[in-house]
Amino acid sequence: MTSDAVPAGGDPRRLLTEARDLAHRVRLAQRVTWLPLLVLGLVTLGAIPAYRYGHTVVSNCKPMGDGGQACQVWFQTATFYWWTALVLGYVVSAVGYLRVARARGLETRIAPYAIAGIAMLALFTTLHVFVARELLPPPDLERPLPWVVLALFRLTDFSGSVGLALLVLAWLERHPALLLFALGYLVVVIVPMNFGWGNHWGDKWGFAPMLVISGGVLLLGSAGFALAQRLRRPR
Amino acid sequence: MTGPVDTPAPDQTESPHPVTGLDDVVHQRVRLGILTIAHEARRVEFGFLRTQLALTAGNLSQHLAVLETAGLVEVEKGYAGRRGRTWITLTAAGNAALAEEIARLKQLIARVETTDIPEDR
Repeated sequence: MTSDAVPAGGDPRRLLTEARDLAHRVRLAQRVTWLPLLVLGLVTLGAIPAYRYGHTVVSNCKPMGDGGQACQVWFQTATFYWWTALVLGYVVSAVGYLRVARARGLETRIAPYAIAGIAMLALFTTLHVFVARELLPPPDLERPLPWVVLALFRLTDFSGSVGLALLVLAWLERHPALLLFALGYLVVVIVPMNFGWGNHWGDKWGFAPMLVISGGVLLLGSAGFALAQRLRRPR
Repeated sequence: MTGPVDTPAPDQTESPHPVTGLDDVVHQRVRLGILTIAHEARRVEFGFLRTQLALTAGNLSQHLAVLETAGLVEVEKGYAGRRGRTWITLTAAGNAALAEEIARLKQLIARVETTDIPEDR
C-alpha cells in the first residue's frame, strides 16, 4: 500500500524535530513582513503635510513671562489623517497578507494584527482626549512634564501605537527579528532624537524631523525584511 | 461489612507506557507532518503539502484519505480561476489528536531520558 511507503512511527525525537521544522517552514512561508512596514512607513511620511498644511484648534492659552503665550493645540486635520490612513493601512496589510499567503497555498493569522492595531488606535485616542481634557493642567512651559509621562504619551501616540501593533505581529508570526525591530522602533519613538535636525525649520515643520526619522526607520525595515525574504527563497 | 481489599499489582500502580496510547493513524511521519502543517496554517493547499513533504500526488492523496476517514482533516475542492485547488483543514478532532501525539512523543523522550539504560557489555 502506498501509504506505507514511508516507514511508520520512528524515533520520537526525530518526529518532534521534523514537526517543529515543518511548523517553522509554514511560518516562514506565511510571512510578508515587508508589506505592513512599507504601508506604515508611507502612512507616517504622509502625516507631514497633514501637520504642515492642516487645520489646528488652539485653546486654553496662558501668558508666559517673556510676553508670549503657551496654548493647547489640537491638530485636527492630522488626527483625522492618522485615523483614516492607519485604519486603511491595517486593512490593506491584512488583505495583502491573505492574498500572498493564499497564493503560496496557505492561510495566515493576520486578522488579530489588524484588529489589535485599530483597537489600540481607538483606545489611545480616547485616552489622550480624556487626559488632555480632564487631567492635564493648563500648559506650563516653565515646568515641563516628567519624562515618564512624556514617554507614556509618545508610546500611546499614533507613531507609538504603530510600534505596539508591530509587536502584536511579531508575536503572531513568532518572528524574533521583527520583535527586535519593533522594540528598536519604539525606542526611536519614545526617545525622540533628531540630532538638531530641523531646529530652524520653524513651528510649522516642527513635527517633520521625527516623522521623517520614524517613517524612514519603517521603510528601511521594510526593505531589509524584503531583501532577507528574497535571499532565503529557494532558487 | 467487609470485602476484598483492592491491592493493585505492582505493574498497575505505574502509569501506562506512553507507547500504548499512540494512535496509529497519527503516529506516522507523513501524516504527522500533514497535521502539523494544517495546524500551523489553519488551511493548506494540496500543492504546498506535496512540496513540503516531498511526496507524489498519489502518495499524499492516500495519506489524506486515511486522515479524512478518521475525521482528522476536511478536504475541500474548489477553483482559483481555471485551476482546480484542493484545500485541507484540520478538524477539532485532528487538533486534539495532534496535541495528544505531541504530548505522547514528549513523554516518550522524557521516559527515555530518565530511564537508566544499562550499557552493552
